[in-house]
Amino acid sequence: MTDTSSTIEPVVTARGLKKKFGRKEILHGLDFDIPAGRIYGLVGHNGAGKTTTLNAMLGLTSYEGTIRVLGEDPFARRAKLMENVAFISDVASLPRFLRVRELFALLSNIHPNFSTDKARSFLEGTDIKPEMKIKTLSKGMIAQLHLAVVMAIDAKLLVLDEPTLGLDITYRKRFYRRLLEDYMTEERTLIITTHQVDEIEFMLSDIMFIRDGDLILHMQMETVNEKFSQLVTNEPAMQSEARALNPVYEETRFGQTVFIFDGVPREKLEPLGKISTPTLSDLFVALMQRPTANPETAR
Amino acid sequence: MKAFAALVHREYIEHRGAFFIAPLIMVVLVFLLTILAFSVDRINTRFSGQMLTVMPTWVFEAGFAALAAGWLAYLGFALFFYCADGFAADKRNNAMLFWKSMPASDLKILLSKLAAALTILPGSIFAVALISILLMFGVAYVTTMIAGLGSTTLLWSILGIFAQMSLVLLVIIACALLWYLPYMALVGAMGTAAGRWAIPLALLLPSLLSVLEWVLMGGGINPFSTHVWNYLHYRSQFPIAFDSLDRVWEGQQAFDAMAFLVDFLQKFDWVQVGIGAAFAFVAIYIASEYRRRSAAN
Repeated sequence: MTDTSSTIEPVVTARGLKKKFGRKEILHGLDFDIPAGRIYGLVGHNGAGKTTTLNAMLGLTSYEGTIRVLGEDPFARRAKLMENVAFISDVASLPRFLRVRELFALLSNIHPNFSTDKARSFLEGTDIKPEMKIKTLSKGMIAQLHLAVVMAIDAKLLVLDEPTLGLDITYRKRFYRRLLEDYMTEERTLIITTHQVDEIEFMLSDIMFIRDGDLILHMQMETVNEKFSQLVTNEPAMQSEARALNPVYEETRFGQTVFIFDGVPREKLEPLGKISTPTLSDLFVALMQRPTANPETAR
Repeated sequence: MKAFAALVHREYIEHRGAFFIAPLIMVVLVFLLTILAFSVDRINTRFSGQMLTVMPTWVFEAGFAALAAGWLAYLGFALFFYCADGFAADKRNNAMLFWKSMPASDLKILLSKLAAALTILPGSIFAVALISILLMFGVAYVTTMIAGLGSTTLLWSILGIFAQMSLVLLVIIACALLWYLPYMALVGAMGTAAGRWAIPLALLLPSLLSVLEWVLMGGGINPFSTHVWNYLHYRSQFPIAFDSLDRVWEGQQAFDAMAFLVDFLQKFDWVQVGIGAAFAFVAIYIASEYRRRSAAN
């Protein structure tokens, strides 16, 4: 299910991307392109291979196949690549022994595209002060500081792997709002993974679902809206007709039956019940069912 | 170069507790105790002052040497534990992913750690050592003044001794760092892979190599009568001879820093220093490849 095309040079290109840990193959030969200026959501179960895919993109792990990020082989040229790529893989990874001002001073010398002024301006209005030691900051403050650091880097690609893990809803909302308002431009590309897919749905331009090391959906959000439909009906006759149209998913909620269809024209579904576009979390549940794990809900 | 210097500075910030703050606190405490001892007459100021003028030059030189020896021992322990622990600190602190997001290769980061172990970290202890010795000299001179024996000549003599001995200490520290560089790199490389286990491994590895030679190639009557053991024994001893200082210790001759240093540097085994530096680079390179390939999270 791939429907992404672009005429400009992709920021990320992967061909036959495989990764094994021992004898176990985690990624089974992924092929994808990520164009510039897009906001990608990479979604999957725990252990599906999201972080491994991101690690391969960031040069943090070896792999089989080919992957190019901004034209570079990330594993061979990670240090060079990081001049134009910023990432947060774990918000708890900021060096805790430093003060905020020491962190900024070091980064201004280590990273050619880091701006201390920008980082300071991103922290205005927060409770984070330059003299504070990072180890004294709360989890939410550390996330704010880490976001300020990556946003102060003039990068072409920003990768966020579960950036809001463990944060409360207020911080999560603020985090994504700042990211959109203060950072994203047409030249920048953002790849983000999270389990709270509903919270990032509004900002995504593209979505990738990864299941057990395979890419099972890679699509622009507009296409998702056109391609997938959700039907809610409680009439047994209508349900039989709906089943005849081969839904990709079916479940019963509060006495009503919910179907999700892939590529079935809405005109055919409208007589059968209430039609809507499935949310990303509904689509995720529909497409990510693993028959061995959830045989009762898989169709 | 700016980035490399910043990475070295990062090491200093992370480890300044062991290399600067703790030694400085120790000096302040000892100084305060000394002042207290004099103020409650635990030490007789007048008598001490008189004693110091019996053989003023020797007393100050020997005092400097004794205190410097203590600081050298502290430096050795601190650097050993730094190499075993500091090279794995990014992983232990859960900060590996952050530093991997920086445009700095693993080799550059490990070299910056080694560079810190050769420059700013021992430099900090050197600075604190000089402060402590200066305080000791200051206290000693004040006691001579209280005893009524202080003079400008003595003061200049003390300052001359301080300058000469400081130069000697600096050169000895620099040469010791170069001499023990392969050990530091090896412990650091093992620390990169094994974390704090590098401490026992650093002691175990030479024994294993010696036993391996003994088993495979024969040799003396025990596993430590081997070429490997003899070589490691030689490389473990700092090649400094104090024979030329016998007359100085006995008070028959004034210490001549320049003569001592020229003699010392001429006899120093520079070939082994070169071999050690090459070994150190290879060890760090292998460790950096391990760090590059191992999981960061």
